Amino acid sequence: MRTVKRVLHVAGNDLRLMVGDKAFFFWSLVFPMLFIVLFGLVFKSSGGAPAVAELTVVNLDEGRWAAYFLDKIKSPTVELKVVGAEPAEYNRLIVLPPDFSARIEARRAQALAFKKRENASAKAAARVETRLYQAIARVLGEIVLYGDGDLSKFLDGHAGFRDIVRVESRFPENTVTAVPSGFDHSIPGTTVQFIMMMVIIYGGVTVMEDRKKGVLARMLFSPLSKGELFQAKLLGRWGMGLVQAIILFVVGRILFKLDLGSAPLALLVIAVFSLAMAALSVFIGSLCRKEDLIIGLAVLLANIFAGLGGCWWPSEIVPPGVRTAAMASPAYWAMDALHKLRFFQGGAGDILLNLGILSALAAVLGAVAARAFKVRD
Amino acid sequence: MLEIKNLTKSYGDVLALDRFSLDLKKGEVLGLLGPNGAGKTTLISILSGTLGDFTGTASFLGRDLFADRSLKNRLGVVPQDMAFYDELSAMDNLLFWGGLYDVPRAELKKRAAELLELVELSARAREPVKNFSGGMKRRLNTAIGLLHRPDLLLLDEPTVGIDVQAKVSILDIIRSVGAAGTAVVFTTHQLAEVETTCSRIAIMDRGRVLAQGTLEELVRIVGERDVVEIAGEFAAAAFSEAVRDLAGARVELLSAADGLASLAVADTAEVPRIMDRLFRRQLAVTDMKIKTPNLETVFLKLTGRSLRD
Repeated sequence: MRTVKRVLHVAGNDLRLMVGDKAFFFWSLVFPMLFIVLFGLVFKSSGGAPAVAELTVVNLDEGRWAAYFLDKIKSPTVELKVVGAEPAEYNRLIVLPPDFSARIEARRAQALAFKKRENASAKAAARVETRLYQAIARVLGEIVLYGDGDLSKFLDGHAGFRDIVRVESRFPENTVTAVPSGFDHSIPGTTVQFIMMMVIIYGGVTVMEDRKKGVLARMLFSPLSKGELFQAKLLGRWGMGLVQAIILFVVGRILFKLDLGSAPLALLVIAVFSLAMAALSVFIGSLCRKEDLIIGLAVLLANIFAGLGGCWWPSEIVPPGVRTAAMASPAYWAMDALHKLRFFQGGAGDILLNLGILSALAAVLGAVAARAFKVRD
Repeated sequence: MLEIKNLTKSYGDVLALDRFSLDLKKGEVLGLLGPNGAGKTTLISILSGTLGDFTGTASFLGRDLFADRSLKNRLGVVPQDMAFYDELSAMDNLLFWGGLYDVPRAELKKRAAELLELVELSARAREPVKNFSGGMKRRLNTAIGLLHRPDLLLLDEPTVGIDVQAKVSILDIIRSVGAAGTAVVFTTHQLAEVETTCSRIAIMDRGRVLAQGTLEELVRIVGERDVVEIAGEFAAAAFSEAVRDLAGARVELLSAADGLASLAVADTAEVPRIMDRLFRRQLAVTDMKIKTPNLETVFLKLTGRSLRD
């Protein structure tokens, strides 16, 4: 118990020193925020859909079926604008040809042209498109149920067939229905990048300085063993990563409505990733004797791993070869897990591989760091 | 209280400690003297548990110092390095370092305040240590080693690089700690500090204790004598003749050209007889001094005059 208390005492002091450092808030909050805003805006979604989606209908039909079909399309969220010729400007447009009714009555196939303006809302287009498919299915359903009767007389009566078919649209399971904001990518991405950078820099430099000043050796004058001291240093640096992540996630939630998918699982991913980086920082701090070298290494590693690992842009959009190479980056496994949770509604089972790989990495780096850890030069 | 036996430590081919043995009693203040590379810091590092790969034993309070980690709660160490956190205040440093020992929090706070008073840092207890002078830092460095009221205090050159006032203050602390019953071992290059502070002196070189005891005992051990220095105008032959057959006196130096002569005497009671002989032969003596052997002469006699790295 006393041992645990001593380990926590040393780790807590490291955290206290980090948080008490004025530079910490700049490098752990202000600077990452610039990255978050930059990449968040770059990858922002096209915006929300209008409450009512407009559909321009060029009705050239010479019969009565066009009006019946359009009646099926109407809904509170889809507004029809019926015109006689294709206008110069529109968001979404469908053309009902002159023989639209004739082809229906003759039970002949026909193609309808549906056009979308390039920069129009994709969400609104999807809503209109869904409504069109529903209308087509309902009309076809009624015709099929009507049987071999004369379709030219269908609209003159036969009320029993009206709305006899109901069409419901449902997304397949796990389909993303809400487009994540760019910040949902940039906040976790920046967090992972800055955990790498700051934990290695701050954690590594302080291990090196404490060793050079004799602070680590002095701790061994107490009943603390070298193994316990290593655990304390690892724990302190792990805490540094977690504190940083929690600050960025909370600020991201308040300012940018950050949605992590599953916050507990996302934090678990960050926790395991931070542990691996904490071990790397102790290892680098134990090997290096100069602050400049540690900073240089940290910046180099963090940027390579961040760029490759999908912190700056989603790894889903890079070519397959680059994605394969990205697997060498610890950041990839963290970002991939965070993307699965947020962008693909994943659960614990979906990120098991990621957690396993990050845990294995933490274990290997921890073992290497423990071996390299020294209290004197 | 502390019994070290045959402690041996090598760095490659270099023997840093060579069957080093030493005893220390409660309240005893032992000054450990030795030239650079004598093995002082190696000894402190081994005793404080930060250096391994050695042979030999050390019994502290009747228990094995190297096997019983709980003994570290009874051992205080003040390293040569200013090993603390510059960013923290003196009080916060004391609370942090004290927290590593089994001292209850409330008692620790009280003890920290007491020590800040003792090392005269109470007025600046809440100030970051980075603003402190070298002497203040040394005092804090010493206070950290005393937080848990150790039975044995090891200090590795605690006064290096500080002004006279700070040095006097630290030596006062060492004396008071010893007077309170704590056994103290402190290493230093400053012979005067040892002479004024320690109840016992050990001179070590090349990893071994060459001699130990009080200053008087050391002088006796090395066979160093009082020296009578005589200045005047005299012929060398006449001077030699005058002191010839004088029991207990030996000519160490005789330079008629410089008008100087030195005689090592077994007892300063011989001085009147020497002067009587010189006056009887009408040698012109203009000055006479008696130089008593001090720690420096003992030290040089034991460790030699060759420079060390």
